Amino acid sequence: MGVVASYLNDIKAAVTSTFEGMSITFSHLMRKPMTIQYPDKIPVPIQETLPHRYRGILEVDLDICTGCLACERDCPITCITIGIDMNKETKQRFFTHFDIDVCKCMYCGLCSEACPTGAIRHSQEFEGASYNPAGLVRHFAPQTQNLYKPKKGGETEPKLVTKVDIGQKYLDEFATPDGGGAAEEG
Amino acid sequence: MKDGAFAGVPPQVVYAIGMVLTALVVLSAFVAPLAGLTSWLERRVWARMQSRVGPNRVGPQGILQWLADGIKNIMKEDIIPTAADQKLFPLAPYIVFMGFLCSFVVIPFGANLIVADLNIGILYLLAVTSLVVVGILMAGWASNNKWSLLGGMRSAAQIVSYEIPAGLAILTVIFLAGTMSMQGIIKAQGWGPWDWFMFHNPFTFCAFFLYFTAALAEGNRTPFDIPEAESELVAGYVTEYSGMRFLFFFFAEWGNLYVIGAVATTLFMGGWQVPPVTDNPVLLGILQFVTFFLKAYSWVFVAMWIRATLPRVRVDQLMALCWKYMVPLSFICLLGTIGFMFMSEPGRRIFGALTLGFAIATMINFFRRVGFQFRAAKPEFYWKPQI
Amino acid sequence: MTETAPTETGLFAEEMTISVGPQHPSTHGVLRFVVKTDGEVISEAIPDVGYLHRSIEKIGEKVTYHGYVPYTDRADYLAAMFANQAFCMAAEKLAGTEVTRRGEFCRTIACELNRLASHLISVGTFGQDIGAMTPFVHALRERETINNLMEEICGARLTYNYIRIGGVGYDILPETLTKIGQFLDHFGPIVEEFNRLLSGNKIFIERLAGVAVVTKEDALSYNLVGPNLRASGIKWDIRRDIPYSVYPELDFEVPVGTAQVGSLGDSYDRFWVRIREMQESVKILYQCLKMLPKGPAISKVPKKFRPPAGECYARVEAPRGDMGFYVVSDGSEYPYRVRIRTGSYTAMSIIDKLSKGIMVADLVALIGSLDVDAPEIDR
Repeated sequence: MGVVASYLNDIKAAVTSTFEGMSITFSHLMRKPMTIQYPDKIPVPIQETLPHRYRGILEVDLDICTGCLACERDCPITCITIGIDMNKETKQRFFTHFDIDVCKCMYCGLCSEACPTGAIRHSQEFEGASYNPAGLVRHFAPQTQNLYKPKKGGETEPKLVTKVDIGQKYLDEFATPDGGGAAEEG
Repeated sequence: MKDGAFAGVPPQVVYAIGMVLTALVVLSAFVAPLAGLTSWLERRVWARMQSRVGPNRVGPQGILQWLADGIKNIMKEDIIPTAADQKLFPLAPYIVFMGFLCSFVVIPFGANLIVADLNIGILYLLAVTSLVVVGILMAGWASNNKWSLLGGMRSAAQIVSYEIPAGLAILTVIFLAGTMSMQGIIKAQGWGPWDWFMFHNPFTFCAFFLYFTAALAEGNRTPFDIPEAESELVAGYVTEYSGMRFLFFFFAEWGNLYVIGAVATTLFMGGWQVPPVTDNPVLLGILQFVTFFLKAYSWVFVAMWIRATLPRVRVDQLMALCWKYMVPLSFICLLGTIGFMFMSEPGRRIFGALTLGFAIATMINFFRRVGFQFRAAKPEFYWKPQI
Repeated sequence: MTETAPTETGLFAEEMTISVGPQHPSTHGVLRFVVKTDGEVISEAIPDVGYLHRSIEKIGEKVTYHGYVPYTDRADYLAAMFANQAFCMAAEKLAGTEVTRRGEFCRTIACELNRLASHLISVGTFGQDIGAMTPFVHALRERETINNLMEEICGARLTYNYIRIGGVGYDILPETLTKIGQFLDHFGPIVEEFNRLLSGNKIFIERLAGVAVVTKEDALSYNLVGPNLRASGIKWDIRRDIPYSVYPELDFEVPVGTAQVGSLGDSYDRFWVRIREMQESVKILYQCLKMLPKGPAISKVPKKFRPPAGECYARVEAPRGDMGFYVVSDGSEYPYRVRIRTGSYTAMSIIDKLSKGIMVADLVALIGSLDVDAPEIDR
């Protein structure tokens, strides 16, 4: 009798669990799909919906870069190459090249954490595909540019004030031993 | 005809040519787009069941996706492995395709819309769909690939075993109808659910589900899609195929879904019978065609739904299910139906009404359960099929 | 190839040697098994690993301690937080650095979220291997929400580089904490629905009950860890037995296999332990959200991190078991040796023993239930 009972039980379990599963999949037919139909059917570009901390492709604002080479040292995969030269007459140091190999970059954020002014940061860009590897080396110093000297008591030149503020806002996201990280309101 | 284009040709030959042309029209104008649209619908239905969207870019709501896939596959390089059997490897998809196409000859789309109303209609259908086994075995062996061989072997065992419960369930209906001709079986039923063979008595109700499950197994659909189990055998017997040959196998599978639905409708759901609302033959014909199509296609939808829901059974469990569960049950259904044939008509009507009531109660319970699932997960409600 | 004796009809039979992988839809990552079968029944399944070897341990000798943390993400990219945490714990033990209290709680929140994500992938792909494609996509849908939360916390979705030496890299904002709470409220019923769809399905149960049973003795002698070990009935969890971080203060159960269907230690038990662990992680997260203290999220750690010479082994309970980092320092700013011990590598060794006499379909169920993944095996 136990054999017949287990036989019938098997049939019953198969039928009821199938119906249960089918009711769940049927109920899904009336739910909103979670797909974001990128890139055509989205209300705003995805880059604007990403959080500020998002670690996208690196960008450098050379106007506020002091040439301290902290990012080049801290990068664990040596994707940043910076060249600095000195003009013999004016003793002014300037950039010869500032290249970031985006295909080597592993988007760890250690370079942006090390920067004193927030000149090198991760942007919200993620669409970086290129048809050849050479296109993935970003040259941030197309012509030679002088190094930035941060002024004591804050920046005064109007064009640079906004840049310095943006850089500082990026650096404020990182946690610091004295309670930084934009977490405390009071 | 004494003169003209067909002078001297015996009338039987002209008749045969006419039938062949009709068959060609049916097949190309109906079957090809049908199989293609089924593939698109399957992907949309699965996608919505999985909280995704599915193809919706090629044409309005993606309805031309199958055409794009077909054109892409035709333009692909025809790769035949050098170690494969050079004659059997290209031949296998065509045999599978032939086996499935020949079954359309006896599908009754309407009272007068059938290519050939053979008086062994359903037997012919069973015989011709078995040609698929030969094609699959050929594909598995000729590929010279161990994975394909495993898939082909599994498929042969599966299809041959599941012929038996399918055949027995069909035999149940043949006993009730008294004929094997498809139109005859439909004419033995009525237009309302109480006249359908499905609710004739509780045993035919079970026979219906047995037939549907066995037909799914014969069509290599989940939960019985072991021969092409993607996660186990890469792609089973179709592993070495590419381009249009690959697509022929799946063409046959999607088209076969419709055949399963059509046979289920013919045998158990009254076929093209409609209530007598009009006498106009053209209108009646259209109404019958639409009714039959909707009934058959609803079972196609159910097959897609099952595929999205259930996992796969293992090969030995598949065999156990067939021989230990379905064959005895189908014999019991057959004997039970024969018993009901001896019962007096009013008594049988009571049982029929009880079966119909049970079916309606199950449907209502099912939809209440769907409501429960919805309330438990508290999702965002979106019922429109287009997105 | 071994030949069997001729059958009654005079035909010879041979064993078939199949190569499962390295390109295969259901080996988890780039794995290869050389499988000898007699028809459908397997007689031997020898794993062939190394297709995903990236020399992570050797790289540890070339970069600084701070610079190595992003590399640890890649040791098991599905459970990246745990590798981060284990390495940082080892470095902190070497240098004697204290971690701030808020930092510990942030670490736990991030780790338990990562555990949820990893288990979702594990059960989802397991269902897919068995043939159920829908639960896989549902699990991935939930994981997308977790990925969005991690993106808000640390800026990345898979390789986080979040847990740093001395604490965490970014503090968690109050908006993110609210969103985590909302996600947890939504997630509990989803696990129930997943159970109704997949775990309760008769076909699923029949596929897994009694398949590839790992006995207690085998589990210990083959050095299984994590859910694989607990499914065989042994109650061993690093969070409970060698506690670290704030786990002693949290109240959670350690789910053990209970021979739910079939025998103790079969594939269904391993699957069920993972589902139960997801529910326990939700409990832990609720407690952490309530107990999160104020304060700095990272303590003071020198830029040039030079721990004194010595060696240290730190272990954490990763989703795939006990992940251990053995770090040897020679006083310079580069480690002398980093050795990673992962759970999947030892789980591979039991596959050959378990696969004798099962069918090819069961081999797939076995690999999925052990939740091996290639980056952990090959590093």
